Amino acid sequence: MFKPIASIAATTVGEAIRRKVLLIILLIGVLFLVVAPGLGMLSARSETTVLRGMMLGIIQLTSAVIAIVLTVYMIPNEIERRTIYTILSKPVQRWQFLVGKYFGAVSALLMMMTLMTSVLVFTFWLQQRDASAIPDLIKAPVMYFVQMSLLAAVAIFFSTFVSPLVNFFLSGGLYLLGSLFAPFFQTLQESQGTPQAAKIFAQLVNTILPNFANYNIQNPIINPGQQIQNESSYYLQVTVYGVLYIAGLLVAGTIVFDRREV
Amino acid sequence: MSMTSGINRTPLLGAIVGCALGVFVLQNGIGTQPTGKQYESVTETLKNGNTRTVKKLKAGVATPAFQGISSSWQRDFNQGTVETQGLSPDQLLFALAGFREMIAGILWVRADSFFDSGNYDAILPIIRLVTVLDPKQIDVYATGMWHIGYNFTDEEQRSDRRYIPSALALGKEGARNNSLTYEMFFETGWMWYHKIDDDYSNAVKWFELAQERPDMIPARRNLITNAYERDGKVDKSLDTLFKLYETAGKKAKEDAAFGNKQNRDTLENKLDTTLVRMVQRGWFAGKDGRPLTGYDVNPPFDTGFSAKVTVTEARVLRFEGTWNVLPVGTRIRAVLRDADFPNAKPAGMEWDFSNDVNLDPPRDKTFMQEQLFVRNQRFNKKVDMSKDPTMYPFTSKDYVIEFYYNPRSAPPHIQDKFSWNGEGFTDKNFLNTQVREGQRVMYTSVKISKDQLLRRGDWREKVPVIKTANYLDKDGKAYNQADQVTIDLPSLRAN
Repeated sequence: MFKPIASIAATTVGEAIRRKVLLIILLIGVLFLVVAPGLGMLSARSETTVLRGMMLGIIQLTSAVIAIVLTVYMIPNEIERRTIYTILSKPVQRWQFLVGKYFGAVSALLMMMTLMTSVLVFTFWLQQRDASAIPDLIKAPVMYFVQMSLLAAVAIFFSTFVSPLVNFFLSGGLYLLGSLFAPFFQTLQESQGTPQAAKIFAQLVNTILPNFANYNIQNPIINPGQQIQNESSYYLQVTVYGVLYIAGLLVAGTIVFDRREV
Repeated sequence: MSMTSGINRTPLLGAIVGCALGVFVLQNGIGTQPTGKQYESVTETLKNGNTRTVKKLKAGVATPAFQGISSSWQRDFNQGTVETQGLSPDQLLFALAGFREMIAGILWVRADSFFDSGNYDAILPIIRLVTVLDPKQIDVYATGMWHIGYNFTDEEQRSDRRYIPSALALGKEGARNNSLTYEMFFETGWMWYHKIDDDYSNAVKWFELAQERPDMIPARRNLITNAYERDGKVDKSLDTLFKLYETAGKKAKEDAAFGNKQNRDTLENKLDTTLVRMVQRGWFAGKDGRPLTGYDVNPPFDTGFSAKVTVTEARVLRFEGTWNVLPVGTRIRAVLRDADFPNAKPAGMEWDFSNDVNLDPPRDKTFMQEQLFVRNQRFNKKVDMSKDPTMYPFTSKDYVIEFYYNPRSAPPHIQDKFSWNGEGFTDKNFLNTQVREGQRVMYTSVKISKDQLLRRGDWREKVPVIKTANYLDKDGKAYNQADQVTIDLPSLRAN
């Protein structure tokens, strides 16, 4: 049952690392990471804060673009090039094809994010000469990886029924909304002037949307001082949340893809 | 070629429902979830002597059965609550977008060029945007607060005090978002202590909050003793001085750096001076219930305040008057404001009324505050409000002119006579013990109309003059001008 998934995943990784557009995005991300220390002067007293914020921001943004670009074309390209017929004519189930594609994308993403994180660690160490801050710094890319895996699941779900261009904006929009809504949600909930109906609606949206902000854990890393309570438990919870959401999306994607005529 | 595959959808739908349920519970938790504002930062001392700061639920807030990710994230990872009121949609979008620190840094560099060119108005939205983008930028909060509170002035360098509530609101927001460090607590206290220079209990409150933060530098810790004195808590000031001196002494012994020794010496000197002043001003005698005979504060000195305000031209006033204190250093507060100025109180306003950083103060309201400097027992100051119509719009019908003197704000050589709460201070006409609780201050006020201030209508040809009954001209003669219309200021005797 898992062999076809592994084979499809391995092929997908091979395709991904040969795609020039992804390599260019990765290269730009790495270049920004390398020059980031030079921009620490943007703040008179908070060079380290700006440096950390910027480097983590670069990894997050680059990874998000890679995750979307990587996944939006996966299913439509296979259909367009008719390679899907060759695969599905073999003893491969559609769900295995979808899951294999997803794991391939996530594996490629993992490789690229590992490379960027290595550059981040090296550049940070070179600039700050402070190895003690690095373990904390690495927590953010690890959580970003779960976030990007969720984003990839969103994109692959949409790719089963919409065109790549629409999917690009749909997934990107959902990612922005899911990232931005959490801080906005708190503001709404705590604001005295917000009508009760708006609060209920906000609660609903906050529940339904994939909450990408859960993985934005960079604030205490950028501005250290506050002790995080039950840190491991939080990371475990958000990972389980991500896995459940991904599983739900893949199952939903399977149902849609299964009904689709190719 | 057409290919479809038939699978049993029922278990798949069941799996989706199961995943959705799990996601829902994980995200929202079980039970009522606390919001960010229901937490407070608490500094704990660990067994090894180190300290750590954690966020704990405030007293009375129930712990949920299971805390959801959303609530935990708001507690530990959210950058800070954004006060949305007063923000434009683009500012809000920026606030929520990524690269906040970097954009904030770039904007702050841009603001610096506006400072250089004197374009102060352009800096305001940048300050707001930067603090929203990066609520951990203490420099921007502190600089912004100073800028809003101090730099908006009229042609004669009088501050636009309508901005002060906004400056305080910015300070409060900065303190909320940076509760681990003392800086914004200190800056907010300093605004009360130095700029508002009246309600010192608020300065004390903020300095005490700053004092609780371990990173506060020694020289700044010392300032709270002055705030205690000005708040009338002289005993507390003395106790604090002793404690600070003891700490400084230990520190100087451990590390004989120049700064440590200098701090210890400064505190020693301040301690000596305070003790001498407390004795000379009869503080200890008063506490023990002994008679104050022979002390500097006895008998209370009559300042003999008198004043005359002439509307020389439209929007131009001349304040003249007497104050019997010979040593230089007295500044009498004169206020001209709308009679219905929002949150007004005698000789000031409820400065702390707002939690919203509103960079657009009430532009249709007027609030002028001037310090009348006394020299040779008289003051004489022309206040020209005609050049700044945005700061002094004069849109209301009625206005109030107030005179106010608070011994707590007096320099030490004058306080040696008046003491901290005005024990050695009196004014036979204008002593007031009501407008500031527990203090003896000079206060009087009078109403004036818009027509009089703008010299229009019936007042086009006549010169409005407001004066106290005891006002004497420079040559010692009672004021008497046939072509001017005199409005008398009420006094205690008149009452």
